[in-house]
Amino acid sequence: MDQQQESISGILRRLPLLAAFIILLAVLLFIRLWYLQAIKGEYYHEQAENNRIRPVKLRPPRGIIYDRSGRPLVENELVFDVSLIPEDTQNLDATIEKLSAIVKIAPDSIRKTLDDANDVRTTYDPVKIQEEAPWDEVARVEAHLDDLPGAIIEPEHRRHYPYAGLAAHQLGYIGKVTQSQHKKDQTDLGILTGQGGLEKVYDKLLRGVAGKRMIQVNAAGRKVKDLGIEEPRPGTDIYLTIDLDAQKAAEEGLGSRAGAVVAMDPDTGEILALASHPAYDPNIFPRGISPKDWVQLMNDPKHPMYNRAIQSVYPPGSTFKIIVALAGLDSGVIKLDDTVYCKGFLTSGRHSYRCWKKGGHGPISFHRALVESCDVYFYTMGDRIGWDRVAEYARKLGYGSLTGILLPDEKPGLIPTTAWKKKRTGETWYPGDTYINSIGQGFVLVSPIQACQMISVVANGGHFHPPLLLKQTRNRETGEVRMFSPEHTRSITLDSRALEEVRNALVGVVNEPGGTAHGAATPLAMVAGKTGTAQVIAQKVAGRKLSEETNDHAWFVAYAPVDHPKIAVAVLVEHGGHGGSAAAPVAKKVIEEYLKNVEPKTVR
Amino acid sequence: MLSQRRFDNLPWGMVFLVFTISLIGIAAVYSATYTSRGPSSLFTKQLVWVSIGLIVMFLALIPDYHTVGRYAYVLYALSLVLLFLVMVMGKTGMGAQRWLAIGPFAFQPSELAKLSLTLALARYFAEDPKQGNYELKDLAVPAVMVLIPLMLVLKQPDLGTAIMLFLTSSIIVMLAGIRLRSVVIVFLIGATIASLVFLVSPVRHKIWGSLKPYQQNRIKAFIDPGSDPLGSGYHANQSKISVGSGQITGRGYRKGTQSQMAFLPERHTDFIFAVIAEETGLVGSSVLLFLYLILLLIGVDTAKNAKDRLGVLMAGGIVSMLSLYVFINIGMSVGIVPVVGVPLPLVSYGGTSIIATFLSLGILLNIQSRRFMLFY
Repeated sequence: MDQQQESISGILRRLPLLAAFIILLAVLLFIRLWYLQAIKGEYYHEQAENNRIRPVKLRPPRGIIYDRSGRPLVENELVFDVSLIPEDTQNLDATIEKLSAIVKIAPDSIRKTLDDANDVRTTYDPVKIQEEAPWDEVARVEAHLDDLPGAIIEPEHRRHYPYAGLAAHQLGYIGKVTQSQHKKDQTDLGILTGQGGLEKVYDKLLRGVAGKRMIQVNAAGRKVKDLGIEEPRPGTDIYLTIDLDAQKAAEEGLGSRAGAVVAMDPDTGEILALASHPAYDPNIFPRGISPKDWVQLMNDPKHPMYNRAIQSVYPPGSTFKIIVALAGLDSGVIKLDDTVYCKGFLTSGRHSYRCWKKGGHGPISFHRALVESCDVYFYTMGDRIGWDRVAEYARKLGYGSLTGILLPDEKPGLIPTTAWKKKRTGETWYPGDTYINSIGQGFVLVSPIQACQMISVVANGGHFHPPLLLKQTRNRETGEVRMFSPEHTRSITLDSRALEEVRNALVGVVNEPGGTAHGAATPLAMVAGKTGTAQVIAQKVAGRKLSEETNDHAWFVAYAPVDHPKIAVAVLVEHGGHGGSAAAPVAKKVIEEYLKNVEPKTVR
Repeated sequence: MLSQRRFDNLPWGMVFLVFTISLIGIAAVYSATYTSRGPSSLFTKQLVWVSIGLIVMFLALIPDYHTVGRYAYVLYALSLVLLFLVMVMGKTGMGAQRWLAIGPFAFQPSELAKLSLTLALARYFAEDPKQGNYELKDLAVPAVMVLIPLMLVLKQPDLGTAIMLFLTSSIIVMLAGIRLRSVVIVFLIGATIASLVFLVSPVRHKIWGSLKPYQQNRIKAFIDPGSDPLGSGYHANQSKISVGSGQITGRGYRKGTQSQMAFLPERHTDFIFAVIAEETGLVGSSVLLFLYLILLLIGVDTAKNAKDRLGVLMAGGIVSMLSLYVFINIGMSVGIVPVVGVPLPLVSYGGTSIIATFLSLGILLNIQSRRFMLFY
């Protein structure tokens, strides 16, 4: 115990020092309080009284989105909003009454707007009463500002999409910041942020950084003096890879029909056009879409919000024969000279599988079979190759997996295998399954962008470039430009003779007699492609009139020019009927519009 | 549970002080967070936190403080794990990652770390055979004990808490007994490093660059508040205006224009003292300051009367920690300390801080209530 006491005596000697230290600090703080409150109290009191310093948010203009050659796809329009700062008026009701007469909004609904805003705003935040006020209202408010304490005119940049629905699914749209976004990262509730498409993906870039102005105001909230400004930093401009002309051609080509067009540069993966119809008009969002319109849009049976180019998957129809052809030639199962006799159908067990050509093609070998799209030939070859091997090639060419495009909700589609069917349905894989899947019916499902990537890989000799949407960004303040170079993810090795033969046949599809896609031929360049007609119902019943919903989906995949491909296209027209007549002309327009602008000399 | 004797030994004056200061805090939070639609939910939460805190304080009386000392290292290790978790999966707020989400609650492990480090150091020095007269070479282990949580907290980054951990530990080391020569050496090394940082620009830039922009701005604003009165100096300036405008008698409860009209930022947390000073004037602010002073001096007395080295060091460490928080927070509000963002114990809004403070006070009471007990 003595030892204990001895060992703490040192500490005990130092404790008074701690007490002295504490007393010293308390005295020091007391002196400071005395100085601030008693001696300088009056001065600070006055400062507090005149503390009508107020930050005013300066919102930056959102970055502009351009096409690949610098043509704007969205604009910022200068508009004027009539707003109200309730704290700045002694008589809120009087201001509301007077304002109501000018902007023609009932006083009660102005009060409700203010009430709703109170949940989220901070003191002195203006509340918007009339957005995009017409010019005469702005002028009247401006002229009567002295009678309208608290009312202000706020200049704002309003997003405008001059081409309305053009590339709507890529561009996306902007809208009010949601409560959850606000909670997550304190996003300014007064701005509009990207809520879909690239507006959302690149929102952080496009948004810019808000600045603020510190102003001194008088009792009515009117500015007396500018105290300082922190300039807003405008959003970064972005240049997309799409070509406005090609995009327009795609949109016009689809017209009122539902479907999708994807065009890509086979050398880089740059998306040159990406259209999905029906589209929506992004201009309805920035002003705040009414709940009724939103419900209508979401419940529209034609699903205009749906990006069919990446979110919808379809049976690829005869375009899938490219896969079977490559699989057969590359693996050596198909010999170019082997002929198959097509009598118009093929029987297996008790079932009969038809060729699209009723009379049959007669004896037919590889080249003509692909040019004329003979079903019986590909039933036979699919069977000889074996389905799982075909599926392996389909996966190699990107089917069944995501292309990785930076747009939301891409669907991977489906490449079935025998094991998959067993697991999924419990049934074995029948030869009939091989037949119908070999011509792109049955279980196989692909999206238009996958089809475009597939034909692009065929065109460029086996190289995968992930779809690229952003070409460059440009900082509007510094002018600094950042280029986004294409990536190269992987290459597949295919026998070069096999690729060559398939490509020759694809040229034949467009250019040889008997080919199924003469509608895609253009004087501008030699086009190669493959049609597809995907059946919506298994077998048509002869003689019955079919409604539009049961019409076949029309496909066309193509690239051009044949020698040095600069563009690969996939077109899908829902219920469009035959691929050659419904889809090929759309591809032709897109190819023409793009190629006419590309410098003919820049052959890579 | 508590024997009659210990109950009698309880310093009821101290309990009363703690209770009074917490009530002042609740009233201040009520005023600072009052909205046009009535009292804010933050006020109700503060009530709940203080009630839980009081319970925690009395629960801390049950075990012998030697038991608390025995678990000091476990508690310390636990808080390191929690700090590490914050780094990996914490919630982010204001550019820093400080909180762990536990159901609906946001738990701030750095608040637990400051208490557990204090306790762990107290135990270390209580058990260390050297018992004082420390030289630098003897302090390797405690240095590591301080540096680990310090680095983790800096990484968040929470400069304020890091500084508090450092200062608290320094005082504990001095209480435990460090040789004057060592203090001088540390001081000289510190001064050398500081001058190097200031004079050698690559080093300065490196350190400066590692700070978050808001931290840079706060330091700039402290050195020259006039440089940017609308930007980062805004906090400090508005706080001074709030305090000063209270004058002698204050502007009246819930009548402070600075506090009520939202000129004063962080008014329910770091700048709560400015709200009290504005609304109750020099009278109110010096009463609160005086209450803290008495509370802290009772704490020093507790240390003095503790019956063994562990008790003295634990009590001394806790008092040092609380004093630093009180003085740095108030110093910040009156503009004589840079804005580092530390709460005012018992008053500032914030669950973890309140619970940790009550727990610390509970341990103090515990030591006090056993002062006359002999060894058995």
